[in-house]
Amino acid sequence: MILADGKVYDSAAQGEILKGLERKINATRAEGQLLPETVITAVEILRNKILAGEFAERINELTDSGVYGAENLQEQIAQAAELLKREHLEYKLQIELGSGTSGCGGDKYKFQSRIQTRIMPLGTLFHIAAGNMDGLPVYSVLEGLLAGNVNILKLPQADKGLSVEILVELIKIEPGLAPYLYVFDTPSEDVEAMRQMADMSDGIVVWGGDEAVRAVRHMANPGVKLIEWGHKLGFAYLSGYEDKERELMALAEHIAKTRQLLCSSCQVIYIDTEDMEELYGFCQEFLPYLQRAADKYMQTESDTIGTRAELSLRRYSDEVENVFLREQGKKAAASSVAERRRVWYGRGCSLTATGDSALECSYMFGNCLVKRLPRDRVMMQLRRHKGVLQTVGLICDRESREELTDLLAACGLTRIMRAGSQSDAFVGEAHDGEYALRRYVRAVDVERDLCISHK
Amino acid sequence: MKKRRKLFSTRNPFNTQETEACFVQAMRENCRFQYRNCAPYRKLCRHFKFRPGDLKSVEDLGRLPFIPTVNFKRHKLFSVPERSLLLQATSSGTSGHFSRIGFLFGDLWCGLKMVLRIGSWRGVFSMRPAHYIVMGYKPHKGNQTAVTKTAFGATLFSPALSRTYALKYNEKEHRYEPDLEGVIRALKRFAAGSFPVRFMGFPSYTYFLLRQMEERGIRLKLKKGSRIMLGGGWKQFYKEQVEKEELYRLAKKVLDVDEENIIEFFGAVEHPILYCDCVRHHFHVPVYSRVLIRDVDTLEPVPMGQVGLVNLLTPMVKATPILSVMTDDLGVLHPGSECGCGLDSPYLEIIGRVGLKDIKTCAAGAAELLQKM
Repeated sequence: MILADGKVYDSAAQGEILKGLERKINATRAEGQLLPETVITAVEILRNKILAGEFAERINELTDSGVYGAENLQEQIAQAAELLKREHLEYKLQIELGSGTSGCGGDKYKFQSRIQTRIMPLGTLFHIAAGNMDGLPVYSVLEGLLAGNVNILKLPQADKGLSVEILVELIKIEPGLAPYLYVFDTPSEDVEAMRQMADMSDGIVVWGGDEAVRAVRHMANPGVKLIEWGHKLGFAYLSGYEDKERELMALAEHIAKTRQLLCSSCQVIYIDTEDMEELYGFCQEFLPYLQRAADKYMQTESDTIGTRAELSLRRYSDEVENVFLREQGKKAAASSVAERRRVWYGRGCSLTATGDSALECSYMFGNCLVKRLPRDRVMMQLRRHKGVLQTVGLICDRESREELTDLLAACGLTRIMRAGSQSDAFVGEAHDGEYALRRYVRAVDVERDLCISHK
Repeated sequence: MKKRRKLFSTRNPFNTQETEACFVQAMRENCRFQYRNCAPYRKLCRHFKFRPGDLKSVEDLGRLPFIPTVNFKRHKLFSVPERSLLLQATSSGTSGHFSRIGFLFGDLWCGLKMVLRIGSWRGVFSMRPAHYIVMGYKPHKGNQTAVTKTAFGATLFSPALSRTYALKYNEKEHRYEPDLEGVIRALKRFAAGSFPVRFMGFPSYTYFLLRQMEERGIRLKLKKGSRIMLGGGWKQFYKEQVEKEELYRLAKKVLDVDEENIIEFFGAVEHPILYCDCVRHHFHVPVYSRVLIRDVDTLEPVPMGQVGLVNLLTPMVKATPILSVMTDDLGVLHPGSECGCGLDSPYLEIIGRVGLKDIKTCAAGAAELLQKM
């Protein structure tokens, strides 16, 4: 499915549409500028329609394949609706692009009377969206629109048409948005088409893992701005409690609810200790919490039997691999560490305590790693993973919170949350430590008055 | 390896019930050998706190440490010096990694007895000479895959007048190339002659050939005694039943070969037991092998009729510790009586493969994991 000029076309029309696309975009950009107010008004109407249940059927289909189950989905919709409120979008614009502007196009600094700086849209944005979070492709485009850009969106393969439907509805509400929105369902293998889209863009927004980012870097011409939202690894850091029962349950529920598939999901639970026995004790104690959460939030129907089998098999073959490597002496140095690896199995969930402190991806789907990381080693250890740092769920006693927050922030973490709310969105939040809209605009200096100082 | 000899000399290859004790003893004997001679295996047993002596009854088979096929792809595990191996075979290794399994003379001797026993039960041996069409690879010194070796082995089931291969090695380009036209030309020639034709090879290729012939309107009548033998690894199990039915129909239409003369084999290099379908096309477990279905969460054995991971056991091979191998297949074991062909031994149905289907993820590293699907 392709969306162009407000109309939906069959995927086969791609070549034809791409041929005339640059000319069309140029015409749109020459004509004038998209005002944030236009976008905000349309988004507000769209939001009300979503809340009124207009896309209920299609959204419900997401529970079959998405990250969230039915119960969580409603929670997610409510959260998204909150973010799309008029006042919140206005707040976002203000926070991210500065006060005193009416969004893009406003003159920013007026103290220099001769030369003025305008914040202008980057121009044309090519969004390469990832499929891990439902609604992400649309959200990425809305941010592009808010900054006044023309947007070309390449849908992730997992998208089942909802993105196009929502954007079509948005254009119905505000036909003036049509020339600013182009959506293609180009498969990632069609490099040629993607290169054409990239060539006519001023910025490429890529969501995805190292592979996707690398591919885009390879494809983009020098001079095109790359806006990478790469994959990150979340973890929890545990050093005492404020309310043990509540905090452990919140952590377990977050693990189960997100199935550890999000960047902010917890892959490793770090404990502020060097003592393996303490780790084992924690696993023993935490497993029942995780089990309760898994029973409540994770699907265990037959359609996921292949997934469960794959995970069990991977877990087991890694265990066998460890034994073999140890025997061959390849892991001689690490053998004492590996020896101490122990696994606690639940139904559809598990905890693996290991002797090392590396931040790595867990087996996901309720299978969490538990590792040692005393606070005096935090900086050293986490700096090794600087490229993937994002969210930490911090569980600690009241006295340590400030100190640990500062320490973790200094390491490079960009979201330091409490357990359970690692993935919560809030108004005005930055993404991976940056304000998205700032990456989608440019500053233009304009000299208006004739300079009279030259003689 | 007395018990193994006894097991592989069993007259009725499907009498799994009465050979239970013998099977367990042969497994214990094999386990002890591997434990003594293969250090990684010994380490694994110790890791799981298992000793060969613990293998006393059929229930204990579930406790025996099993090795996933993926670990054989990463490690060459031999329990004898490599130079004493009579044969080494590898899995096809589509991902660039393959299992390397060694065989001693005794291992192969057992294998030969098994093939003879199962083959005669299914009536695949004949003194009548035949032309062979191998729907697979032509043997080549650079190709050690078990599937090539077994396909060639199958051309010894009756005196071979000729062997025509669907995949030929191009010496210049150093790769295999399909030659379906050559196969069709040969078939036309053989249909006009007076000897039967025997097919051996991948079901997918055979199906493709038959469909090509149907589309081109080629109709041949092969001589009586002609057979289509299919095989090529467990992967082929996933072919949907519909496709198999279609293959039977096409074979009749295009070559005039009846369904009962279409025989399917399965085996894997990590579990080199010949599984051969019964007249109802079910794969009954032969005495040389046992199948455990394991729970997808706990990996504990589950009762018959339940879906789980397929764990294959055999005491056939001494040279490599493949006595209990975990596949990445999902399957069900059915009671033999459900089949209706007369065999009591349970039969294995493969229903799919493990995998993270349709899962969307963003945590790092998962991209690579998804690519494997």
